[in-house]
Amino acid sequence: MYSKTAKPVMRSAAWRISLWATLAFAFGTMMVFVFLHRFVASDIQRRSDAWLSGEVEVLSDVAERTPKDALYGRVVGEVAELASREAGANSPANSVFFLQAGSDGALKLWVGAGDGQANLKAILSTPMAQDHPTDVRVQGFSFPFRVASKRIHDGSEVYLGLSERDQLRILRNLRLRFFVLWMLIVLLGFAIVFFTSRRMLSHVRNITEAASRIGHSDIDSRVPTTSRNDEVSQLAHTLNRMLDRIENSMHQLHTITDSLAHDLRSPLTAIRGKLEMSLSAAADGERAEAVVSAIDELDRLADFLNKSLDVAEAKADALRLTRTEIDLDGLLKAMVELYEPSMSEKGLKVKLRYLGAVKVFADAALLHRMIANLLDNELKHVPASCTVTIELRSDEETVSLVVTDNGPGFESDVLAHLFEGRVKGRHSDGHGLGMAFVDAVARAHGGTAEASNLESGGARIVVSLPMAAPGYDSSPAPAASIAN
Amino acid sequence: MRLLLVEDEMDIQSFLVRSLEEAGYQVEAAPDGRTAERLAAEETFEILIVDLGLPDQDGIGLILRLRAMGVRAPVLILSARRSIDDRVRGLEQGGDDYLTKPFALAELLARLRNLLKRNSPAAADATRLRVMDLELDLLRREASRGGQILQLTQQEFVLLEYLCRNAGRVVTRSMILDKVWGMRIQPDTNVVDVHIYRLRGKVDGVGQQPLIRTMRGVGYVLKDR
Repeated sequence: MYSKTAKPVMRSAAWRISLWATLAFAFGTMMVFVFLHRFVASDIQRRSDAWLSGEVEVLSDVAERTPKDALYGRVVGEVAELASREAGANSPANSVFFLQAGSDGALKLWVGAGDGQANLKAILSTPMAQDHPTDVRVQGFSFPFRVASKRIHDGSEVYLGLSERDQLRILRNLRLRFFVLWMLIVLLGFAIVFFTSRRMLSHVRNITEAASRIGHSDIDSRVPTTSRNDEVSQLAHTLNRMLDRIENSMHQLHTITDSLAHDLRSPLTAIRGKLEMSLSAAADGERAEAVVSAIDELDRLADFLNKSLDVAEAKADALRLTRTEIDLDGLLKAMVELYEPSMSEKGLKVKLRYLGAVKVFADAALLHRMIANLLDNELKHVPASCTVTIELRSDEETVSLVVTDNGPGFESDVLAHLFEGRVKGRHSDGHGLGMAFVDAVARAHGGTAEASNLESGGARIVVSLPMAAPGYDSSPAPAASIAN
Repeated sequence: MRLLLVEDEMDIQSFLVRSLEEAGYQVEAAPDGRTAERLAAEETFEILIVDLGLPDQDGIGLILRLRAMGVRAPVLILSARRSIDDRVRGLEQGGDDYLTKPFALAELLARLRNLLKRNSPAAADATRLRVMDLELDLLRREASRGGQILQLTQQEFVLLEYLCRNAGRVVTRSMILDKVWGMRIQPDTNVVDVHIYRLRGKVDGVGQQPLIRTMRGVGYVLKDR
């Protein structure tokens, strides 16, 4: 039976589906972003490199042409100042520096914040490429500089550096915004997938629950369907069509057993009536004896007919049940009271053990006949001075009726086929359907019947039935009463 | 007592007519629903026996139509079917009764008597039952014979009460099981006989006239004369 309770969300299929879908989505979008990020970063780099290369070209040209007099520093310095203003229009100062180093490695000209010694030191310790700008980390600055260099003909080196602070900031902002949006989208996606799949799967769960409810007693009900024509609704429709077919064949079986019963019972009724009438007419003992035994045989035949049709229907899972709530311990007590005199007459002791009230939701008439069959079986097969113990055990889900005796136990060939019908012990005078009937009733109620021989000798039959489900609306079981 | 028997099986009809007439009923028999409706329209019956499997219509449908026609008499439904229809249960709650085939005549007669008694307004509940020199005090749950208190168990008292209420009439084993134990079972062992045997040991003492008689092949009777 499907249980709705005690199933954490984390173990539901909806949870797993949305988890995997979200993981795939998150990974995919992350990959796309990584590519975009790399593209943007390299584009920014390329643009700043192009500017640097162009400017260093201009500056080196200016430095070459300007005569090396007292004004040299001012002219080149002003050109460099101009370039740095152009580059750092939107950013604070000291994002650009210009530096000229002599062939001896000494600082010849410096435009920028500070004295430029740290920059020169960093540049000299970094291997510089001539044709394209290089990253240089300068002590005291948290961001690296992109530095382009150019050697001029007097042997000195012209350097133009641009702080990478701005482009790194742009990229950082980009990443930050992406992560925030990405998280939101992923969470939203997860929620959407989770709730839609949960809704879908709740239809499946409803179908499962309805299908498991449709048992022997209410084969005419159907699983819920939706108006949408999706897979779930197709599943429901398919299940319902299958149930239609099962119901059909079950009705077919019922029609057959009913008409069989009818066709046999009518002549039996007529014969029995005639026998009874001849019994009241026959005064002498010998003829009356014959009629009496004929009536007995006829009643046995009628009982056999009932039982075999019940067993046949039960084997096809088609036994019709009219369930009511039954007080099993009370019923058992009444049954034992009924059988106790016959048992003690035969020299059998009978013990009844149970722990408080036990309720089952079952067909009263079938349950009565089942217990009568169990006790009849003990009465017929257990030899004198043995003890029959009838025990009622129950756990949360099932009630077990355990009948134990300390007799000789079942013969091994009987035990193997006990519940199959038409099996009886060598000294049995029944028709061998009793235990098959017990099994049939137990199975029709969703229970089981088991038989075994005990190691200490004796036999045990255990009939397990499902406990009465709370919340079923039920009418009270017919009570023993004297209503004449 | 006028009785309408609706039964299509001629074999069953003929023995039922004979036995019912022997029991003192004036019986009209109908082989199908149409005839039954005609008879019910012409005459008044105090009780009806209707078989469920009629050739021309469903027995329950017939009963409902007869009720619609104004027939108030209680109905004993005979059924050869295996399952008891919900509509039969409905009728049962409405005061009618049903009996599955094959049945013992004694049971049929007992059920007819019950139906008639249920239907008669003057069925005052007695607190004491007296059959010959056997007396049952239903309030104190005590039985005595010839002034001598009988030591009966609760179950034995209920059984004796049932026999007393049907004194002079045969009760079958399945009737006893149904009414005393509330079980519709057919044990293939002698469980009822042993109860009767024990009860008889207490009720019919040595030297007393035996009251509980066994009717072989049928059941038991408590003699009332």
